Amino acid sequence: MSSNPFPLAKAELLQAYRTMRTIREFEERLHVEFAKGDIPGFVHLYAGEEACATGIMMHLTDIDRIASTHRGHGHCIAKGVDVHSMMAEIYGKETGSCRGKGGSMHIADLSKGMMGANGILGAGAPLICGAGLAAKFRGDGGVGVTFFGDGASNQGTVLESMNLAAIWNLPVIFVVENNGYAESTSVDYATAVDSYVDRASGFGLPGVTVDGTDFFAVYEAAGEMIKRARQGGGPSLLECKMIRFFGHFEGDAQTYKAKGENELNRATRDCLKMFAQRITHTGVITAAEFAVIDREVASLIDDAVSTAKGAPLPTTRDLLTDVYVSY
Amino acid sequence: MARNISFKQAINEALDLEMRRDPTVIILGEDIVGGAGSPGETDAWGGVLGVTKGLNAKHGGRLLDTPLSESAYIGAAIGAAACGMRPVAELMFLDFMGVCFDQILNQAAKFKYMFGGKAKTPVVIRAMIGAGFRAAAQHSQMLTPIFTHVPGLKVVCPSNAYDAKGLLIQSIRDDDPVIFCEHKNLYALEADVPAESYAIPFGEANVVRDGKDVTIVSYGLTLHRALEAAERLAKSRVEAEVIDLRTLSPIDLDTVIESIEKTGRLVMVDEANPRCSIAADVVATVTQNAFEALKAAPQMVTAPHTPVPFSPVLEDLYIPSADGIAAAVSKITKTALAA
Amino acid sequence: MTPLIGIIANPVSARDIRRVVANATSLQIADRANIVLRVLAALAACGIEQVLMMPDRGGIYGHVTRGIERSRNQGEHRFPSISFLDMPVTGTVEDTHCAARLLRKAGVAAIVVLGGDGTHRAVVSQCTTIPIAGISTGTNNAFPEHREPTVTGLATGLAVMGRVPHGTAFAPNKLLSVAVSEKNEIALVDAAFVTDGYAGARAVWRMHTLRELFVTFADPEVIGLAAIAGLIEPVSRRMSGGLMVRFAPTPDAAMILGAPIAPGLVEAVGIDDWRRMPAGVPFAPTLASGSVALDGERELSFTERDEVSIMLLDNAFLTVDIAATMKFSAVHGLMRQTHRQYEESLT
Repeated sequence: MSSNPFPLAKAELLQAYRTMRTIREFEERLHVEFAKGDIPGFVHLYAGEEACATGIMMHLTDIDRIASTHRGHGHCIAKGVDVHSMMAEIYGKETGSCRGKGGSMHIADLSKGMMGANGILGAGAPLICGAGLAAKFRGDGGVGVTFFGDGASNQGTVLESMNLAAIWNLPVIFVVENNGYAESTSVDYATAVDSYVDRASGFGLPGVTVDGTDFFAVYEAAGEMIKRARQGGGPSLLECKMIRFFGHFEGDAQTYKAKGENELNRATRDCLKMFAQRITHTGVITAAEFAVIDREVASLIDDAVSTAKGAPLPTTRDLLTDVYVSY
Repeated sequence: MARNISFKQAINEALDLEMRRDPTVIILGEDIVGGAGSPGETDAWGGVLGVTKGLNAKHGGRLLDTPLSESAYIGAAIGAAACGMRPVAELMFLDFMGVCFDQILNQAAKFKYMFGGKAKTPVVIRAMIGAGFRAAAQHSQMLTPIFTHVPGLKVVCPSNAYDAKGLLIQSIRDDDPVIFCEHKNLYALEADVPAESYAIPFGEANVVRDGKDVTIVSYGLTLHRALEAAERLAKSRVEAEVIDLRTLSPIDLDTVIESIEKTGRLVMVDEANPRCSIAADVVATVTQNAFEALKAAPQMVTAPHTPVPFSPVLEDLYIPSADGIAAAVSKITKTALAA
Repeated sequence: MTPLIGIIANPVSARDIRRVVANATSLQIADRANIVLRVLAALAACGIEQVLMMPDRGGIYGHVTRGIERSRNQGEHRFPSISFLDMPVTGTVEDTHCAARLLRKAGVAAIVVLGGDGTHRAVVSQCTTIPIAGISTGTNNAFPEHREPTVTGLATGLAVMGRVPHGTAFAPNKLLSVAVSEKNEIALVDAAFVTDGYAGARAVWRMHTLRELFVTFADPEVIGLAAIAGLIEPVSRRMSGGLMVRFAPTPDAAMILGAPIAPGLVEAVGIDDWRRMPAGVPFAPTLASGSVALDGERELSFTERDEVSIMLLDNAFLTVDIAATMKFSAVHGLMRQTHRQYEESLT
C-alpha cells in the first residue's frame, strides 16, 4: 500500500467516488425508466458531468448555498439532498422532496442549502448574489455557488450578476458548465468570445478554466476559489469544460452531435473511470473497494426507484396548498 | 390632535420603524441613498422622489444603492429572502417590471409551491405606479392586474398615508412576496398618521363612505376620484357607498358583496387598462357570486385601451375622472345629475 | 518564393489558477489577435509573402481574418498571404503539438509562438529543428522575452530572409529532458519535483511542496520557479549547463529566500543547497513519489515504482536572437531604402 499522493484522505476519495457513482447510477437509471414511459414531463441528465458537481461540492457545507440548472440532479446529490426523496419527486409522488409539486426541474432542499434546480436558465445567478449578500450580513463565511451552462452564460441575468457580485465583493462563485451544447446549438456559434475567463475579467473577476472531467483539477481550483471567497476575497468564475453523455432532454435524438461522438466520449472521457483508474494505479484504493461502492449504489438506486414507484400520489387537496405562507 | 404627514413620509416612517425592529430588513434599489461613488453628497437623493431620504443616516450599511441591473438586484433580494433576510427592494417604476419579471414571476412567486411548502420568500418589492405625473407611456402605467394574476404574489395598493404606513409595515412582516404599489401622484397627500408602529392586515377592504344607492369600489388614486364623484352625486341625492380595496391580492370581495346586497348597484373604478383589469376581475366575481342582489348591470370605469399619453390635456382624459364615475352611476341609477 | 513562416497562437493558454491565487492576468483573445496582426505586418515589411498559421476556435482565427480583410478592403497591402493548417481543432494543447509537427513538415523557416512557457514547451517538444521566435502572452513567461511584437516580427523576417549572418540571427538554447519510466517530456526553463502526486490545477504555488528544482538558465529578472534559481546564482541562456537547487522546510533550511514565483506573488522558500547542473549528465530526484512540474505546470506523477531521471541538453534548439538581429540591421542599414525602392513601394 503506497502513500497517498492525492489532496484527499482515502475516506474522502471513497466519498467522492460514491457521490459520483450515485449521480451516474441515478441518471443512467432515469434514462432507462424514462424510456419506459413511467416518468412525467422532462428530465435532463447529468451523466458524464459528475466530476464538476462533486469536485466543487466537497468544499461546501450546509451553510453554503447553491443554485442549480434544469440539469440539476447531479448538483442535488452532490449537495446532500436525499436520493429517495429526489426519485419520488421525479415520479411526482407526495413523498418527493417538493411533495410532487416541483418535479425534476425544481428539486430543492433549502435545509441543505440547495436553492433549487431551475427551469429558467440564468435565473440562479441573481439568487446566489442574494445568498452571498445574506452570508455577508450574517458574517459566517458562507459562500454561494451558481451553476449555469455555456448557453445560459449569455443570459442577461448572468452578466448583470457578475457585475453586481464584483461591485459588492460578494462571496460567490460563478461556475460555467461548458459541455459545448446549449440544447442543439454549439458554444462555438453562440458565444462571441470563447473565453468565459475573458468575460470574467471584463467584469473585474478572476476566472479559471479547468478540464471538468478531471476531478482533481476541479477540486483544486474550486477549493482555492471558495477559500478566497470565504476570506473576503470576493467572487470568481470557474469554467469547467465537460461533456454530457445524453441529449439535452430525454427523448432528444441528438442529431446535432457528430457520428459516434457519445461512444467516443464514454470510451475516452468518462470522469468516473479516469478517477478510479488514477487512484487504483497508485494502490491507495483497490478496484475491489470501488466495486463494493458500485454494488451499494446500485442497490440504493434500485430501492429509490421501487420506493418511488410504490409511493402515494398527491391528493386533490394538495393542489391548493402552499401557494402562500398565509393568505 | 391630528398629526398630518404625507404619504411619502408615511412610507419613510414605516421603513424606519421596521428597520429598527428587525436587523434582517435591508433596502436595495437605484439611488435609494444616492450619490454612490460620486464626488458630491451621499444621500444626495434618498430615492428618485426622496422617499428614502434620511434612512441612510440612521441605518447605514443596510441601504444598498444598486447598479442599473434590475434582474440582478431584484433577484438578489429574492435570493436573500430565501436565505433568511427580509429585503425591501425598490423597483423604481413598476413599468420596469419587464427587465426583471422572471425573478418575480418564476422565482419568488413559485418557490413555496414548487418546493412543496419548504421555502419562505419574505421579500417586498416597492414600486411607483400610476399616471398624472406627465411622465408618459413608460413611467405611468397601472400594471397591478399583471401581478394579481400570479399565484404566490401579494399585491398591495394603499390610497392614503395612514394605510400606506400600516400596510407597508404589514408587508415587511409578511412571509410571502409582496408587490407594494405606491401611486406617485399620492406622495404629497397628507393624512393623520400615528407616530407609532401599527400593521393593517391584508384582505380587508375599507368602507370609506357609507351610502345606500350605489357601491363604488376602487383603489389607489382613483379612490379619491370616487369620493369626489360621491360628493357630486350627493347633490343629486344619490348616496354612494365608497369602498377602498387596499389590497388587491388577497382581495376582500366579501365587503363588496355585503355592500351590493344593500345597494344593488356596482361601479368599479380602475386606473388600469380595461382588458383583464382589476375592474373586470371584481365585476366578474361579484356578478357570479351576488347576481341576485344586483338591480342593474355592474359598470367598469377604467382608463382607455391605450398607452398613457404625454400631453397633459390627453393624460387628464386618460385617468378616470369624477365626472366619468358620476356618469356611470347616473346611468345605472337612472338619475339625472344636478348641474 | 520567399521563405514560409509559421505562427502558433493557442487561445487556451493562460487561464489557470494563478489568476485566483496570485495576480496573474493574461491577454484577452482580441489582444492576442492584434499581436498576430502586428507580427504579420512586420513580416510583410521584410518581404515575407506567405505565412502558415495554426487554426483555432477560440476567437483568434476570427479576429485575424477579419483584420486582414478590413485592411484589404481599404486597398492596403500591409499583410502577407495567410493560410491555415489543415488539422482538427480540439481546443487543447494537442492543437499546438499538431501544428508544430505540421509546420515542420511544411518546411517553415521559423515559427512565431504566442504564449507562455507551457505553449513554447509544447512547440519545442514536437519540433527542435526549426528556430522559434517567442512572444509572451501567457501567465508565466520566463522563456519568451518581453518585447514589442512588431519588433519580434521584423527581426524574424530579416533573419529568415538571410539578411543577417546565421550565427547572429539565431541563438542556441538548452532544454531539460525528463523521463518517468517510459514517458518522456521536456522543459525549456525549469523542472520542479513536488510532493503533490497529482496534476490537479497544474500550477505550483504552494512552496512547502517543493523538493528540487532544475533550471536551464537562471535569470534574476524573471518570475516563476526559475526566479528562485535566478536570485541565488545567475546562469545565462548562452552558458553551458544550468542550475540545480534542493529545498528544505523553512524552519530547518540553511537559507530562506523570497522569490516572485507568480505575478504579484513573492513567497519565501527554504533552500538547502544548490550547484551548477552540467549538460549531458543524468540526475535522479531524491523525492520518492510526487510529480514533476515542467515549466511551472505539474505534468507527470511518479511513485517509488517508477524510474525517474532528468538531463540538461546544450544546443537543443534555436531561437531568433531579436536583439542581435536588430542591432546588426541598425549597424548595417538593413532597413534603409533607396528613393527608388520607396517610390516603388507607393504603387
